[in-house]
Amino acid sequence: MEPGKRRTKDDTWKADDLRKHLWAAHSGNPKGDKKHREKKLRKESEVDFPEDKEQKHRDPDRDTKHRERPAERDGHASRENPRGDRDREKPRERKKDSRDRDRERHKEKYREQDADKSHSRGKDRDKDRERRVRREELRQTAQHNLLGWQLPEPVERRARAGSKARAEEKERRDEGSEWGDEERERRYRERKLQYGDSQDNPVQYWLYKEGGERRHRRQKEADRERRHREKSSVREKRDKHSREKSNSFSDKEGEDRHREKHHREGARLDEERHPGDTGRKERSSREELRKRESKDSEHRNRGASSRRDPTSSQEGSCALWYAESLVRNNGKDKDSRKKSCREGSAVGKQALRPGSAEIAEIEKEDTDIENAGTDEYTPCLEDDFEDYEDDFEVCDGDDDVSNELEPKEKIEELPLARKKEIQEIQEAINAENERIGELSCKLSQKRGLTEGEREAETDANSSPPRAPVCGIFMDFATASRRQKSRTQALKQKARSTKLLRLIDLDFSLTFSLLDLPPVNEYDMYIRNFGRKNTKQAYVQYNEDNVDRDTQTEEVETKGVWSQHPAEGMAVSGGSGSGDPCDTGAPKVNTPRLSHFLRAACQVIAVLLEEDRMAAEPSWSPAAQDSALRISDSASQLNTSLPFLQNRKVSCLCASQVQRQTVVSVHGPPGAAFDPVLDGRYVLCVWDIWQPSGPQKVLICESEVTCCCFSPFKAFLLFAGTVHGSVLVWDLREDSRIHHYVKLGDCFWTFRTATFSTDGLLTSVNHRGPVQAVEPISTSVYKKQSFVLSPFSTQEEMSGLSFHVASLEESGVLNVWVVVELPKADLAGSLSDLGLIPGGRIKLVHSATIQLSDSLSHKGYEFWGAAQTLSVKFLPSDPGHFIVGTDMGLISHGTRQDLRVSPKLYKPQQCGMRPVRVHVMDFSPFGEPIFLAGCSDGSIRLHQLTSERPLLQWDGGTDGHAITGLRWSLTRPAVFLAQDDTSCIYIWDLLESDLGPVAKQLISPDNSAPLHDIMSEDGEPRQHLLCYWKRKTPLLGEAMGDGCGEFICRNEGLGKEGSCRSPPCCPPALWSPESLSFLIPARSSSPRPWRRVVAFGI
Amino acid sequence: MGCLRPRRTQGSPRIPIFCGPFSSKGGFRPSVVKDCIHAVLKEELANAEYSPEEMPQLTKRLSETVKDKLKEMGFDRYKMVVQVVIGEQRGEGVFMAARCFWDADTDNYIHDVFMNDSLFCVVAAFGCFYY
Repeated sequence: MEPGKRRTKDDTWKADDLRKHLWAAHSGNPKGDKKHREKKLRKESEVDFPEDKEQKHRDPDRDTKHRERPAERDGHASRENPRGDRDREKPRERKKDSRDRDRERHKEKYREQDADKSHSRGKDRDKDRERRVRREELRQTAQHNLLGWQLPEPVERRARAGSKARAEEKERRDEGSEWGDEERERRYRERKLQYGDSQDNPVQYWLYKEGGERRHRRQKEADRERRHREKSSVREKRDKHSREKSNSFSDKEGEDRHREKHHREGARLDEERHPGDTGRKERSSREELRKRESKDSEHRNRGASSRRDPTSSQEGSCALWYAESLVRNNGKDKDSRKKSCREGSAVGKQALRPGSAEIAEIEKEDTDIENAGTDEYTPCLEDDFEDYEDDFEVCDGDDDVSNELEPKEKIEELPLARKKEIQEIQEAINAENERIGELSCKLSQKRGLTEGEREAETDANSSPPRAPVCGIFMDFATASRRQKSRTQALKQKARSTKLLRLIDLDFSLTFSLLDLPPVNEYDMYIRNFGRKNTKQAYVQYNEDNVDRDTQTEEVETKGVWSQHPAEGMAVSGGSGSGDPCDTGAPKVNTPRLSHFLRAACQVIAVLLEEDRMAAEPSWSPAAQDSALRISDSASQLNTSLPFLQNRKVSCLCASQVQRQTVVSVHGPPGAAFDPVLDGRYVLCVWDIWQPSGPQKVLICESEVTCCCFSPFKAFLLFAGTVHGSVLVWDLREDSRIHHYVKLGDCFWTFRTATFSTDGLLTSVNHRGPVQAVEPISTSVYKKQSFVLSPFSTQEEMSGLSFHVASLEESGVLNVWVVVELPKADLAGSLSDLGLIPGGRIKLVHSATIQLSDSLSHKGYEFWGAAQTLSVKFLPSDPGHFIVGTDMGLISHGTRQDLRVSPKLYKPQQCGMRPVRVHVMDFSPFGEPIFLAGCSDGSIRLHQLTSERPLLQWDGGTDGHAITGLRWSLTRPAVFLAQDDTSCIYIWDLLESDLGPVAKQLISPDNSAPLHDIMSEDGEPRQHLLCYWKRKTPLLGEAMGDGCGEFICRNEGLGKEGSCRSPPCCPPALWSPESLSFLIPARSSSPRPWRRVVAFGI
Repeated sequence: MGCLRPRRTQGSPRIPIFCGPFSSKGGFRPSVVKDCIHAVLKEELANAEYSPEEMPQLTKRLSETVKDKLKEMGFDRYKMVVQVVIGEQRGEGVFMAARCFWDADTDNYIHDVFMNDSLFCVVAAFGCFYY
């Protein structure tokens, strides 16, 4: 036990010191001396046995006091002991060492306290080494406790104590478990087993040295023990179980067993003593005596101890330490006491022999206070002392004795100052302990700790010797707690293992918490500085005229109404209408627009013309009722245009297909007007619905004698001239390739001929004036009646495959083929010399028919060569034609030079007469009949197959030459004739075949003299019905039978007669000659003005 | 967890679970937690500027508040781990990742990122179920 205590930090050097002192320091306290001393003591004790007894008597009291005192001192009083020891020892030798020792003592105390608590805490690991040492100490103490507790003690107390001890052991085990686990415990136990050998080596080795002696002695003792056992075998049995228990622990060391035996023996003695509790009273009464008496023995003891003191003081720590150990833990004290107890018991045994009366007391006291027992007995029992010399020496058992004795003496003997000092120190220690306790409290879990503290305190309060036990007790609480927690942990562990089988733990997934890509430099720059030098511009609506650049203007709006079709003059209206359509239709499909405009303009122009015509009452048909009975209305073509002024109308021609298209031929002007136009003939193409102005104006170098339109579409105009040339105008040509003149406020384009045969084909070309130009077409009459559209909507060359025949006066009939070039050549063609640059129509000579042969062989040679005046082609067979001559004969021929049955159609009168057959007309209804008008005023109706006429009216016109003759296009039996007096005759053969049914003198104004040149066109106008709805059907029919004539009248002459063509002149339908003939007559007039009036009949 | 994987419970003792991811209360619901975190972040970092001295305290405070709030939400038997990282935004790239060794069926995590011009804050909350 003491070796264990020495194993604290200081033990190491203590051990050395011990050796030093034991071996080297010979004189004072070496152990050899000790032995000697002890032996002496024993001898003395043997000698002084009675005294010892007394001491024994006293000691128990002391011990009881001892016990009580600590209780009073709150468990810390025992610490006074070391103090006391020291104080006492100081005067002797220790002054120099006292400081060190103090320190050491403190340390030790500290450590020991720590050790006690650290067992429970197990957390003060800062001083590992110390703790370890302490642990070992504890183990030792535990072991010793075990050993000690194995002492068979009296039933009650010992059992109690034993149970306590066991509890402590358990606690310690628990502590052990706390430290480590069971393994640690195991280790702990093993260490327990070993440590006596291993750790106590120096001491035990030393112990063993004398082991031999001891054994000898022990054997003696053993004999004694046997005796004792036999005696107290009964009691032994009682204690067996406890003994065995303790044996199980104590089997480790043989020596211990021996000791135990001694203990047991002692215990038996104790038991013997035990029954007498009353002895205690005696004891207590005796205590005082003893105290007084014991002074001697104590002194003796002290003397012994004091003798040893120097050594022990040199080993001071040992002594002090021992004292402290008393204070510290009962267990240790008990150990020590137990050993002493053993001694005591041994002594007791010995004592039993000498005096039985006192033995009882002694034993009681022994049982009560083992220390005391030891103290008492040690001096008495030399043998035992020898046995335990070693122990004592090792353990400084002497110090024990002295220590235990000292406290009482201290209290009694110490002066007040000392006491105060001691108290202060005690307080300090208490404070320290408390602090440590608190620390431990904090460190350990709260509940257990408080409990532990409480227990500790209570324990400490209740029993000072157990105060150290308190620490252990604390350990127990926490330990149990920890055990609980450990079991719980185990449970949890088991559960977790079970659970883990069921749960899949994985860490396959990696969660990306944040992925912040680095910002590139530019972005960084922009983020930091990008907003610098920028401004926010505001756009506002004129609210407060802060000078900003952006201001919006008010939007001007205006509502306009529009209506279609227009009813009034204004098509769209609204006051101050702006130009909302400015933005409209920038995209124009030009060809389509022009196409539309052409058609629309025509319509509009026509409508405007109508309005204008209607607005002129002077020309309204109503006003001319008397004059124009046969016609519903008439209109006058405007010949007052500047370039038409002073020009006579020589010829008038209408298209067979497009009836509204009329061409008028104007002669050269009477007065110079324009150098471009002067000396040239002008042709005007009119639309009769637009009489205000001509559609096209054509110019020609030579005088035009006749003209005609193309058979299907009226876009080609053919004309023959007096110079024998045939001209063709393509009316579709672009006006830009022609010359234009600005006259007045508008431009007029004067078109030259597209193609002219002048100078071309001289071999076959005409050499005389062309008398007639006729288109040759088979389908001309089939088509004509069904084409109602007045407009030339399509200008395709669909009907261009046709021929044109031109008849010369000398009887030469030329047939021309009209050819359209595929492409216009603006630069002019080298091969087609008559072609205007950019023109596409040309004439190609096809055939020449000499009619003079057929006319000359008849035997009328004296008349010379007959003049051919007109030609007509049979509508149903263009191969056949008839030619009028100036001899009253009509020649019949074919283009293929075939023989035809009547070569000549002759009048009913036989013989040759100079009658010019000027006008002829085939029936439009397909009948093979034709009309021929002669210059003598006779009208003949011929059948193609017969030479003589079917009918002949000679006096229908009163001898006036027939200038115009037309079949009605609607009534097959009706035809119109015009004589050179501008009188129109209407024949209806169904009504009367004797003469005309109606006669109408064409005169624009009956009341006024005729000053105007009137021209009448006798072409059928049945299509006008569509447009002139006001007309009655009757009149409409009348209109269908149209015929016309020119009435030339000089205003200066003022009479009709002047208009008559000269009798010698052949009666042409539109005779320029007649006009020109008249013009000289009027040349005297200052300002002759002429008009061309077209009458719709 | 008996209900977790019935196929595996054959032969092994079933341990009844009365609360947890499959109880009526439901387990760690990331959406709710995220809302919570988001609210905290919005409130705490509304106009926070990065300053190296304050950030440690801020992170601690944030983590504590988030943790407390999560505890208030009462995910029974869930151990909550809240991690807060605040860093300065200076254009550097940052990549953060987490890897957990856990039972993916019951445990979950959610994270929320708060960023302003001067700092970014990542809060990750892990909920581990206590069996």
